Amino acid sequence: MKARNEDTKRFERLILPHLNAAHNLARWLLKDAMAAQDMVQESSLRAFSAMGRFVDDNARAWFLTIVRNQCYTWLKQQTGRHYVDIDDEEAMSEKDKMALAHTDTPEAWALRMQNRQALQDGLEALPVIFREVIVLKELEDMAYKDIASVTGVPIGTVMSRLARGREMLKKELLKNDQ
Amino acid sequence: MTSELNCNDCADWLHPYLDNEIGTEMAVRVRQHINRCLDCKARLAELQALRDGIRQHTTYYPAPELMQQRIMSQINRQKPAPRQWLTQVFSVAALTASVMLYLATPSSQDMLMDEVVSSHVRSLMEQHLTDVASSDKHTVKPWFTGKIDFAPPVYDFAEQGYPLIGGRLDYIRHQNVAALSYHRNKHIINLFVIPSNATDSSIHSSSRRGFNIVSWQKNNMAFEAVSDLNNQELEAFVQLILSQH
Repeated sequence: MKARNEDTKRFERLILPHLNAAHNLARWLLKDAMAAQDMVQESSLRAFSAMGRFVDDNARAWFLTIVRNQCYTWLKQQTGRHYVDIDDEEAMSEKDKMALAHTDTPEAWALRMQNRQALQDGLEALPVIFREVIVLKELEDMAYKDIASVTGVPIGTVMSRLARGREMLKKELLKNDQ
Repeated sequence: MTSELNCNDCADWLHPYLDNEIGTEMAVRVRQHINRCLDCKARLAELQALRDGIRQHTTYYPAPELMQQRIMSQINRQKPAPRQWLTQVFSVAALTASVMLYLATPSSQDMLMDEVVSSHVRSLMEQHLTDVASSDKHTVKPWFTGKIDFAPPVYDFAEQGYPLIGGRLDYIRHQNVAALSYHRNKHIINLFVIPSNATDSSIHSSSRRGFNIVSWQKNNMAFEAVSDLNNQELEAFVQLILSQH
């Protein structure tokens, strides 16, 4: 009983502060309000039962890893096995990397970046492995090494996924003109 | 003296530069290049505007207000922990000199159901569905030898639309049990095989937390098939197994 009370205290102190981050991540990954709540609830219970084994100091990354795994399991069940088969290891083409939104003046581009709906839709439209790194970077302000630990890939992959995700998003945002 | 970056290399470093994830020396080189190269400067400005746009204008979804309360109440409801109720079970069992009575009582059956559903959910959550992944019953069945002291029947029903995925060792009712996993379209079925001395019984369907369960007893083994599959298809699966017994 004592150990359990100890777990409850640690859970309240270490995990509960990251409930918003957990829910935000789940919501962006799943794009389904009910499922996001279910996944966070289940992940919380799982985190609680694993509390005794948690020694690392980064509780947010640890908890978000559980949430992400849970969400991917759900996504797999929903969409079958091939949902993330995107060749993200392929290097970005030089053309993509160097692309500029040439039609825009800096002012026009800045104005475009105020288009709430286009940004929201654009981010939602990205494949999940690119969407998740942008959400963790921009909305949670996480360091590359923490994003790497949550997503289970090397830091270099985080870096290239972020770069590619941002370029894809730029393209999405320019689509409206065509 | 550091060498001058070209635009191609600079483009690689713009993202980590923007994210403040590069060392001081490289940051200096990127800055030097940007100050001399209008194109790269424009690229960085574009990325900065994009980043600011995302931060300001995409939705942040905080947890619903009552979620924290729901989680804590569910955690508190779980008390006493499984190990503690098992201790209680066994102290009473010592008095009655038989655990079997417990298996026969509804509350005990309830607890068993809860355990198998939890175990089913856990197997999906932890991506630990199988210890031995094979659709070949001649691989799966021998795998259990030496791990458990009974021989669970293993069949593959791929032809009937229920292919065997594999087997794993699980822990239910304070003992090692066999769990066999099957596919039905996109659904997973876990079949738990638990040693038990109860008398043979025909199938009984129930549901827990949105999962369907079909239970029966045969040859000193309790069988529990659990899935989010609809009850009809789950029972059809069970009939396939019964036809082999």
